[in-house]
Amino acid sequence: MKKRYTLGLLAVLLAGLTLSQPSPFQQRVQQAIQNGGSRFAESMKQDPDQALCSQYRDKLPPELVGAFLERQRALIKYPADGKLMGDWKKGEELFTNPRKGNCYACHTGDPREPGAGRMGPGLVNYGQRGTSEAVVKYTYDKIYNAWATMPCSLMYRAGYHGILTPEETAHVTAFLLDPASPVNAKR
Amino acid sequence: MRNRSLWIGFLLALGLGLSIALTQQQEVDPYKEAERQRELFRQTAGILPGELYAAQGEELFYQKRGPKQASLEACDFGLGPGKLEGALTQLPRYFADTRRVEDLETRIVSCMVRLQGFKPEEIKREDVKALTAYVASKSSEMPINVVPKTSQEIALYNLGRELWYHRAGDRDMNCAICHDAYAGGRVRLSPVRSPRQGLSNEWPAYRFEADKLYTLQDRIAFCYESIGIAAPEFYSEPYIALSIYMLAEATKGKNKFTELPGFTR
Ligand code: HEC
Ligand code: HEC
Repeated sequence: MKKRYTLGLLAVLLAGLTLSQPSPFQQRVQQAIQNGGSRFAESMKQDPDQALCSQYRDKLPPELVGAFLERQRALIKYPADGKLMGDWKKGEELFTNPRKGNCYACHTGDPREPGAGRMGPGLVNYGQRGTSEAVVKYTYDKIYNAWATMPCSLMYRAGYHGILTPEETAHVTAFLLDPASPVNAKR
Repeated sequence: MRNRSLWIGFLLALGLGLSIALTQQQEVDPYKEAERQRELFRQTAGILPGELYAAQGEELFYQKRGPKQASLEACDFGLGPGKLEGALTQLPRYFADTRRVEDLETRIVSCMVRLQGFKPEEIKREDVKALTAYVASKSSEMPINVVPKTSQEIALYNLGRELWYHRAGDRDMNCAICHDAYAGGRVRLSPVRSPRQGLSNEWPAYRFEADKLYTLQDRIAFCYESIGIAAPEFYSEPYIALSIYMLAEATKGKNKFTELPGFTR
């Protein structure tokens, strides 16, 4: 685990290094961003993997995928008590809240929600996969850091960015997997 | 003038009422709804809000204003001084007098500075918006014709494409996610289009949900804010770059402008 982390860190540093010698075009892009004012420039700052996704238009070449996933996996944090499935009711509120998960922007969930987006796969009856350790961990990881399983996914890294804490991620995981959640209600 | 402002105030209040009514219904087709709202305005007021803004802009255009007491009639939007017919269809473009690529809004500002003698910080955003509505109204329903040719235009197009794919912010977003990967789909209830499908062809437009006139810069700012990125300052390069990128792509897709100013949600 430790070793993996240092490896990941090294890779990030390396990516940072290559980026720290920007091409004339990249310098010009930065100049244009600065021209938009300091608040804009501040919020357009990228981490090395955001920059990599932009560079490759969200389609990483296969030879970069392994290291990318490794770096992203190293960023996942788990709740102190080790429980990856929390309270589905709290999860529902987080899933719905536009300032928190905002998951309905792209996914269906509780089928009664009217304005659900379709950019991501539908999640109605997601709990059919059961609650084995592997399914729970896959779901938790996906929500905490979508890029750890899918490089440059359209889905943002809610846990990595602190939009959801590890405990909150566990609640949202429960909203998708708990048999009592409306996502999985018998219909 | 005074009368007109009153009119706008009244219409805007009306608009707000309508949009509140709208949010109470679910699953309405946004395009049909816009059409319905537009008809309501026609019937109750006899005029569309965008037309009022354009009329305001027309007054401003021909008035002698600023330290130099000049009108904007000598302003060259790319087709020659004072030629407004179709002017928006070829913007943004490179201007030799300012030695940069300008969109309609930036061009209006630079003419207000050079011809009327205003200082940039004195120029009111509301005036620029009204003027934008007026000049744009002369390109209503015309084919978009933005083809980057000069090295400066090509450079800005390339910058715009780069910004288009620039993933940033705590939602890891960029424009392409919604407008390319997902074009033809819906974000919540809103249908989204790609630049090739004509994205950006209805601005400036009156948005009845927001109850305001939005220029293309306002609309881009709105998308940035909605993905948690602070919008660029008005008239700055990111807007011009993104606009030339989107409109050049819309040109490749053989798109026309809608009625201008547009009427939309
Ligand atoms: C911007 C769009 C978007 C948002 C917002 C979004 N997702 Fe996703 N989601 C996707 C896409 C696209 C995929 C498929 C690609 C992938 O796996 O990353 C996906 C995949 C998933 C999967 C895996 C589905 C499967 O069948 O294996 C889960 C679980 C999921 N999302 C949950 C969530 C939750 C919970 C939230 C809110 C915290 C959320 N998503 C927010 C777009 C989004
Ligand atoms: C999270 C999704 C999302 C992202 C990211 C996004 N947009 Fe949008 N955009 C939308 C939606 C939804 C609409 C509204 C479509 C409608 O109501 O017709 C829209 C509308 C627009 C429009 C006007 C619609 C038209 O047909 O002319 C423009 C222009 C636009 N976006 C540009 C951008 C630019 C530039 C970026 C990147 C800075 C961007 N958008 C990022 C979702 C998004």
